[in-house]
Amino acid sequence: MIRIFYLLIVLYLSLHLFWHLFRQKNPWSQAGTALVLTLFLLRLFLIK
Amino acid sequence: MNRIKASELSAALFLILTGILCFISGRSFQTMHRPEPVFPSAGLTATHRLSDYFPPLKNTHGDTEVYIFRGTEEGGNLLVLGGTHPNEPAGLVSSVLLIENIRGKRGNVFIVPRANASGFTHSDPQEGNPQRFAVPTPSGPRLFRLGSRLTNPVDQWPDPAIYINPARQKLSGNEVRNLNRCYPGRADGFLTEKMAFGIMELIRRERIDIGIDLHESAPEYPVINAIVFHENSSELAALALLELQAEGFDIRLEASPVNLHGLSHREWGDHAGIKAILLETPNASHGRLKGKPSSSLIVDGKDKFYAKASRLGWLFVPYGEEGIPLALRVARHLAALKALLGGLAELEPEKAVEVEGMPPPAEVQKKGLGAFLHPPQKSG
Repeated sequence: MIRIFYLLIVLYLSLHLFWHLFRQKNPWSQAGTALVLTLFLLRLFLIK
Repeated sequence: MNRIKASELSAALFLILTGILCFISGRSFQTMHRPEPVFPSAGLTATHRLSDYFPPLKNTHGDTEVYIFRGTEEGGNLLVLGGTHPNEPAGLVSSVLLIENIRGKRGNVFIVPRANASGFTHSDPQEGNPQRFAVPTPSGPRLFRLGSRLTNPVDQWPDPAIYINPARQKLSGNEVRNLNRCYPGRADGFLTEKMAFGIMELIRRERIDIGIDLHESAPEYPVINAIVFHENSSELAALALLELQAEGFDIRLEASPVNLHGLSHREWGDHAGIKAILLETPNASHGRLKGKPSSSLIVDGKDKFYAKASRLGWLFVPYGEEGIPLALRVARHLAALKALLGGLAELEPEKAVEVEGMPPPAEVQKKGLGAFLHPPQKSG
């Protein structure tokens, strides 16, 4: 059960980052967002 | 309008890069969960899992291999544990060297090369340690995992603020993931406590007479180049010390403190009544004074900062520019094991354990580890 909550939180934050990536106009901000998104996606797929 | 499109295009590009980065780093992380192959000698008689002795460990990262070499003559039972702390490579490599070379003659030998299997699946954070180290062999480098002292937090989390271990010792919270603080283990405890319980079950069911836990310590740590012994093994440790000194190995004896609980050299003796010994060799790669961590620091053991610290008299072992290579540290473990078995045969002949094919420590130092290791498996 706790794992589902965990995955839902990570999914929510990943989607938020995804949305943020397309909203940003500055390429450097997009690069920073992409790097953070990488870590969240690894978590989302439970690669640890 | 064009500006929006350009930013969307770059976002899509970054998303593709994110995918590539995830794939590369994900693959790298996954390989840490694959134990490197071990190639047992023809003398191997059986391979068990720790979960065969304690089934709740089955399908967990706490389960690990137990290699068994049964002799043709009656004798005692020896347990050798490597990888209790996966950041102390001499324990793992000494165990692998034994598995790939020995044949049982008298009594039985049980070898667990990766006692804390979970600890091998991650690295210590903020240390910059390599994931693997390469031992040269005539057929090319053979890779071994360098893990963490503690169980992977992915397998056991969170740590308590204060940890009261199964022997009622109060310790700092993260010691809950240190296998060598969790003895005699708990059948219904944390994963690391279950691993410790599994090892105790192995000791009880296989009627182990003597257990040897292989470790390494930082050169600035006082318990180094040492045989740490339970008081029931004091005579045996003293005999081994004499033999080791006669062979030119500088080694000291350290009695297991009676009020320091949870460690193998204390609880194996107290709870299973076996002769309990822990061996320490000097390893610069997990000390605090080291320079850049690397595979060569682990294998060659050369570190100019430790050499300087030694000149300043800050260390408990002499540490020259030539370093203390892994081959010497493994040779020390093998020499101590040989001396302890010799002492056991003298003190309790009915419990003697004899093996054939054990790499001679002097030869390991002279020819290197690669001469006694199986060639590396070709990838692909």
